[in-house]
Amino acid sequence: MSEPLLHIRDLSVALPKGADRPFAVKGVTLDVNPAEILCIVGESGSGKSVLTATLMGAAPKGLSVAGGEAVMGGRNLLTLTERQWRQIRGKDIGMIFQEPMASLNPALTVAQQIEEVFELHADLPKAERAARARKLVEEMHLPEPDRILQSWPHQLSGGQCQRVVIAMALAMSPKLLIADEPTTALDVTTQAQVLKLIRELRDSHGHGIIFITHDLGVVADIADRIAVMRHGEVVEIGTAEQVLKHPQHDYTRALIAAVPSLVPHDRPAPGAAEPALDVTGLNHSYGAKQVLHDIQIAVAPGRVVSIVGESGSGKSTIAKNLIRLIDPDSGRIAVAGEDILGLKGSALRGMRRKIQMIFQDPFGSLNPRRRVGPMIARAAVLSGASRAEAAGRARELLELVGLDRSAWNRRPAAFSGGQRQRIGIARALAMRPDVLIADESVSALDVSVQAQVLDLLADLQKRLSLAVVFITHDLRVAAQISDEIVVLSKGHVVERGPASEVLTRPQHPYTRDLIAAAPGRDAF
Amino acid sequence: MRQLTPYLQKPLVVVGGALSFGWLLIAILAPLIAPYDPLLTLQPLAKPLTQGANGEFFLLGTDMLGRDIFSRLIWGARTVVIYATLATMTAYAFGLIFGLIAGYAGGRTDAVLSFLANVVLSFPVLVLYIVIIVTIGASPVNIVIAVTFSSAPAIFRIVRAITIDVASRDFVRAAITQGESTGRILFVDILPNTTGPLAVDFCLRLGYTAITIGTLGFLGLGLPPPTPDWGGMVNEGRAMAIAFPHLVIFPCIAISSLTLGLSLLADGLREVNEAKERQA
Amino acid sequence: MSLGRFLIRKTAIAIATMVAVSFLIFLALEVNVEEVAVKVLGQYSTAEQRAAWLLQNGYNDPFAIRYLRWLGNFVTGDWGQSTFFRAPVMDMVLPRLAASAILAGGALLVIVVFGLGLGILAGMRPGSLLDRVISVFSVVTTSIPDFASAVFLSGIFVFWLGLLPGASTMISGFSLSELILPVSVLGLYSMGYLARVTRASMADVMNTHYIRTARLKGAGMARIVLRHALRNALITPVTVIMLQLPWLLSGVIVVEVFYAYKGFGTLLYDAALNQDIYLIEACAMISVLVVVLSQILSDLIYGWLNPRIELGAKA
Repeated sequence: MSEPLLHIRDLSVALPKGADRPFAVKGVTLDVNPAEILCIVGESGSGKSVLTATLMGAAPKGLSVAGGEAVMGGRNLLTLTERQWRQIRGKDIGMIFQEPMASLNPALTVAQQIEEVFELHADLPKAERAARARKLVEEMHLPEPDRILQSWPHQLSGGQCQRVVIAMALAMSPKLLIADEPTTALDVTTQAQVLKLIRELRDSHGHGIIFITHDLGVVADIADRIAVMRHGEVVEIGTAEQVLKHPQHDYTRALIAAVPSLVPHDRPAPGAAEPALDVTGLNHSYGAKQVLHDIQIAVAPGRVVSIVGESGSGKSTIAKNLIRLIDPDSGRIAVAGEDILGLKGSALRGMRRKIQMIFQDPFGSLNPRRRVGPMIARAAVLSGASRAEAAGRARELLELVGLDRSAWNRRPAAFSGGQRQRIGIARALAMRPDVLIADESVSALDVSVQAQVLDLLADLQKRLSLAVVFITHDLRVAAQISDEIVVLSKGHVVERGPASEVLTRPQHPYTRDLIAAAPGRDAF
Repeated sequence: MRQLTPYLQKPLVVVGGALSFGWLLIAILAPLIAPYDPLLTLQPLAKPLTQGANGEFFLLGTDMLGRDIFSRLIWGARTVVIYATLATMTAYAFGLIFGLIAGYAGGRTDAVLSFLANVVLSFPVLVLYIVIIVTIGASPVNIVIAVTFSSAPAIFRIVRAITIDVASRDFVRAAITQGESTGRILFVDILPNTTGPLAVDFCLRLGYTAITIGTLGFLGLGLPPPTPDWGGMVNEGRAMAIAFPHLVIFPCIAISSLTLGLSLLADGLREVNEAKERQA
Repeated sequence: MSLGRFLIRKTAIAIATMVAVSFLIFLALEVNVEEVAVKVLGQYSTAEQRAAWLLQNGYNDPFAIRYLRWLGNFVTGDWGQSTFFRAPVMDMVLPRLAASAILAGGALLVIVVFGLGLGILAGMRPGSLLDRVISVFSVVTTSIPDFASAVFLSGIFVFWLGLLPGASTMISGFSLSELILPVSVLGLYSMGYLARVTRASMADVMNTHYIRTARLKGAGMARIVLRHALRNALITPVTVIMLQLPWLLSGVIVVEVFYAYKGFGTLLYDAALNQDIYLIEACAMISVLVVVLSQILSDLIYGWLNPRIELGAKA
């Protein structure tokens, strides 16, 4: 076996005084070998990003290395001066980030930014720099390399930006590449392509790659070895096979168990009930650009219909139309048989009760100034309950969504993301709606929390016989909760049917692409 | 009290608060602190730290009419505190209401209100005051009106921008989908979430208003004499400032320390707000 | 939006603003014809004299007609006679405007050099000692009213050190030393504000992901600041410079009065003290015009500096 490329021994990074724990990273020991992808997996707060930032000599302010070493090429990275770092960054270690768009300077062209790496680390004539930059862009499988090179970042898509960032990181063929959630902000099909590119790079150039992610699906697709982190410590490390198939640590097992399966549950066939929500012929445009074309969706009480699509597919526009934040060009939206599009004023306000929404961002969807109990009770009052009834209903709901009695008098800031989503659910249910819309309601949550909130939603939906429109980009989540799946692409419904049909026997090529791109398809 | 702690840990807030509230206290207690009636003629042009013929002590000297400058400064604090606060508050009342409406309603309402605000804001402030004062005359009430007219559009703009930001958050959408009334959305959901930045702006604005009232006084277009007014004192003393610098130096120090205090306070509040936001 | 359409739109808004402004000014100063007569003919004129004057000058026409006639005259360059100076308003305003432009130009130079410079230095390393010092300095300078800093600076440089003249009357011809104090007072007040804006913008940019990218490419501090940060960080402050003009014009009035400088500010001031309404009208119109033009310029600069934003997308 060859020498490890990077040898980390007993690395600890201290948090500033007053933080919720003394160390962001504690006693981490691991090796990275050439031509190997080491995945570091962990949920938010696990310390995985602090670890890699420290390895680049760029630990966030207030954090300091408390002990240990990270040896690469005979040098301890943790003791380098800023001047020495400058020689190493970009040349021996390259880095790729989560937000590709924000990682590029908006005021410089792609060519300028890639060539800068050569200006910094290689003594090359101008023409040679340009030629190398072009070659890199080609290697990244970017279309029309010459146009891309002359573009500004804002003219490129997210996936294209990420390829440019990767090109910069690879310009000097560094031995070690650190990728911090490089595909999290990308659509699944783009993600699949970028993952493929990274695997190619490992094979063709023999880079050692540290790949940080929270997504076990991605890990299953790309990892040679896996390190699982929790609360700043590595709880388990081993080959991909070992860790995924025979996890030793309880936390690893729990993480793996929480990954939603792509195999849908068996669902009873729909009854003959009247749809609670019936959308027909919905068209919507922003200015001259039509973003929804003739959308039809019907949801019966007690059923869940998922709308699945990538960014720009128009799925959020559907949600906004359903709750009448915006009005469509044409079409009909009927709730319990009544068209809500014509309603105005108090008639509209009365109708709103019947169709409620759970929002994506657990931090933005609750008024930070209001206490949780009264917030939920207020929703009940608006649905026509008396004050006493409303308070009683709010208390019941808090219990129903699994929150403690003491939650009543607290403000949203006192709760975690998962708990806030539960509060959002309770608030929506306080109105006794017929239809519930969940717009990416679990996407911002860690996978273990996500599983709990999904279970809660599924349970409540059955018990209360709600009609649910579940909007998501994540096929796994859709597989878990849906009776029916509607696939949306560029504003058109391209496929619809029972979840089991759509996921196992997709008809439309786009649906097939989506399923093929779902990370970790073979593992989970 | 616990909510105040993060503010008291900031030296900026402490210094700024001490200066601002110090002047507020002086304004309230003016009759008790001031050694003499601010309008009483004692002995003209006495230098600071001198004794008068009748045994009076002039801490900061007297002006050309023989009035005690120290007493006039203290009573001047009352003038500026009363009129600056009053004017800023009326300006806020208008700016707040129209800003909330424009920011939340958007569309044509917003376009019309914003255009009107821009029209007023196209005037250099002093030019606007001069036009107003020439039209309606320089009386205390008119000064309040002039300040309201010229500051309300600036406040409107800030409130409007914050409202647009807050209104785009999901909790406001949630309130809309619950069928909450527009009034309640504006005043229960949006307004309480604007107080942080508005408190900062209020302090700054109070400082600007104090500066404006002082400047009008300096130009001789402010409160009519003999009201003790810092800007007016500088104006009256300017002609003799070469021989008697104390006529102008002390009122300048007074107004500068008040406005500096308010700016520091605003700065400190902003820093604490930002730190809170980062935590959330 | 294309440059042509952008300019047309902005010009249309500017014209609408000017019309609204002119209406406000005319409404304020000339809605009450009796008062106009008193102001023009003086307090000691008789009722008959005033009535005759009003009739003769068309003041008995409806307000709307009078406004339109006044606006037409103004646009065609007939700004009326100054009642105090007994001279055509236009002949007085333009040379004074030129004199003030020297003052404002000097102040603008001070503001740009020091405001941007200090802001960049402070924002390069947010939280550093240099940052704190510059921040406190800029709070202090923006908090002190113009007239007070004029008193303080004159106290130091004229009376104590005796280095500079205390007035800027330019009686014996143009004198650079007479300009130093008024320019400093004007510059000091606005420069702190620009420094703060620049610092905030710079600090924001230094926190962005693309600066982190540059750093992790191996770029040094000098390169990061000069090549990566400045272009992005200066967009807002450079736009703000032009928006300083309304403040600067207010400051010009104070400073000119303090230093007895014969410029636009003293002219408006004299007009105000003497109720010289036609002169006030012209001065107010001109100062708003300058502000409105500077806003268009500021929008253009913004669009030119920022490759991301299409023209007009800011508002």
